[in-house]
Amino acid sequence: MPIWKNLSVIRKVVQLLAFLFLVYGSVFVGFYSADKLSGAFPALACAYDAKTADYCVLIPLQHQFGHRVGTALAAGAFAFSTILPVLTTLLTFFILFVVLNKAFCGWLCPLGFFQEVLGMIGQKLRLNRTESLDPNLVERIRPVKWLMLAFLVVLFPLASGLGFVGHELGDPFCKICPSRILTSLAAGQLNQLYIDTSSTGYMILSIIADTLFGLVLVLSLTVRQPFCRICPMLAMHAMFRKVGLVKLVKNYTSRCDKCGLCAKACPMDIKEIHTSQEKDILFPDCTLCGRCVEFCPDKGVMALKYVTIPIKVSDPQYFKARNKAQKAWEGKNRGSSKRVKA
Amino acid sequence: MVLHLKIIAVVAVVACFSFTAEAVMQWAPAPAKHGHGGHDRHAAKKFELIDGEGASVQLINPQLKAIEIPVEQGVVKVKSTGMDNYHAIVATRERNGVNESAIRYIYQFGKPSGESPSVIMGLEKSKLEIEPSPYAREHWRYYGNTDAVFVLRFDGKPLANSTVFLKTENGTTEKFLTDMDGKITVPLPDDFSNVKPGRMGNRASEFVLSANYSDGEISHVTTFSSAYHANPEHWQSTGLGVAVMAGGMFLGGLVSWRTRRRKEK
Repeated sequence: MPIWKNLSVIRKVVQLLAFLFLVYGSVFVGFYSADKLSGAFPALACAYDAKTADYCVLIPLQHQFGHRVGTALAAGAFAFSTILPVLTTLLTFFILFVVLNKAFCGWLCPLGFFQEVLGMIGQKLRLNRTESLDPNLVERIRPVKWLMLAFLVVLFPLASGLGFVGHELGDPFCKICPSRILTSLAAGQLNQLYIDTSSTGYMILSIIADTLFGLVLVLSLTVRQPFCRICPMLAMHAMFRKVGLVKLVKNYTSRCDKCGLCAKACPMDIKEIHTSQEKDILFPDCTLCGRCVEFCPDKGVMALKYVTIPIKVSDPQYFKARNKAQKAWEGKNRGSSKRVKA
Repeated sequence: MVLHLKIIAVVAVVACFSFTAEAVMQWAPAPAKHGHGGHDRHAAKKFELIDGEGASVQLINPQLKAIEIPVEQGVVKVKSTGMDNYHAIVATRERNGVNESAIRYIYQFGKPSGESPSVIMGLEKSKLEIEPSPYAREHWRYYGNTDAVFVLRFDGKPLANSTVFLKTENGTTEKFLTDMDGKITVPLPDDFSNVKPGRMGNRASEFVLSANYSDGEISHVTTFSSAYHANPEHWQSTGLGVAVMAGGMFLGGLVSWRTRRRKEK
């Protein structure tokens, strides 16, 4: 299969370019322009990375809940202007989201790309990979992303602004975020990989951050997308997914019941894309990577669409070529042509 | 006779640089009267013009519009211009045949200016000028034990092989020679005493860079001042961070191994 026809290869190229832009963007757009971009293009780059061209939307959200909404509530001076910055942040996020929908996660996120690259290294090293997690474990993990969003992005910063908890919890998600350590290390800075001894709270948060980063580094070699499963950005995207212009659709047939290759191909282990008989199969955990469409062997059953324009539609010819390419990549040319490996 | 007076003035200025920066016109934050001054980002900021008697002061916004601001008892009050981004406060004075300038950059909140800070940093605000290259932007600050880069310019062009003096509020004095591109890399000193753990516990300090240059009959003196902070490395250990990350990696390996064992069973 020509690589320019392979959706996964195209996606990796886009991810690589996005990684370079989001992590080293100021090198391309200039040191000061990076600040301007940060206000206009909230994505998952990081303010702690000295070369970034962009800031993660979760940074202003935490600060606005902590420094604006919380302090205004504590002072009894809540007004529309208090909530306006939060609404502005959400609006800029929303504009980007409508254009890309959850494709941000699967096509642009630097941390998602990094985990996928580690997964590819794991494949090449022939490590014993867990291609699909146990469905019960997946079910247990799913609520964590909502808890991360609720507590670490909204409630703790708000409580910090109100004075109920310490300043340490003013931006707790940033304090434990593996992307902060990853992007700053990628920019040649060691200063985000630390243990903070200034207070017990900061010390606990920094221990969690460094442990989590180490866990992500190793787990990504054998488990697909370990951090994505608990990422609050996934939850934020999930809230708005119905209004995004990119759609994942399924034309259910009775053959789907016997197949299930789409669910096996899914890096987020969403078994519902196999069992669902609904047209819209954009589930909260989906990152719109398109692997389910690639590995669907039936013509026109699954499709990735931009509004109504098909971007990728399942096709038996493509499936065969793609499966062959996957095996060639993994160096495994034996076995059934219907086996799917990540 | 006039020439002799000017030479004496230049020698006096050079002598001032050699021993004390207090005698050179420079900006510093005005001492706060009560506490830390609150969190209102749009509130007026006050700056003290040290040794700036007789100087005129301009506030230049990011779109390079300059307005005169009055100096009252050596202090200027900089109100919000309603425009976001970096502004420059520039004090200039001509005294005894010496052109003096003092420049400081301040961040103001407001509507987006639509201009890059490189525009105001690159603007020729005085004949002799120390340009931060770049300025420690938004979430970044000048920290002790880190390098800061500046360019010394005269008439808008880099000035090579000239001396730039550093003086900090904590007592460090050093001098640097600009390279062929007029550039100096200043290792900001880690000269904070009694550093307390945590960013909140440590007050920012001030550093002043100053330079002088004689252009035939006219002498020029300029200063650049800014805040700098205690380096967080005092209470943040990278070594421990790497060790804990290694612990996380070990934990990840353990989880992977247990998962494999369970699958094999």
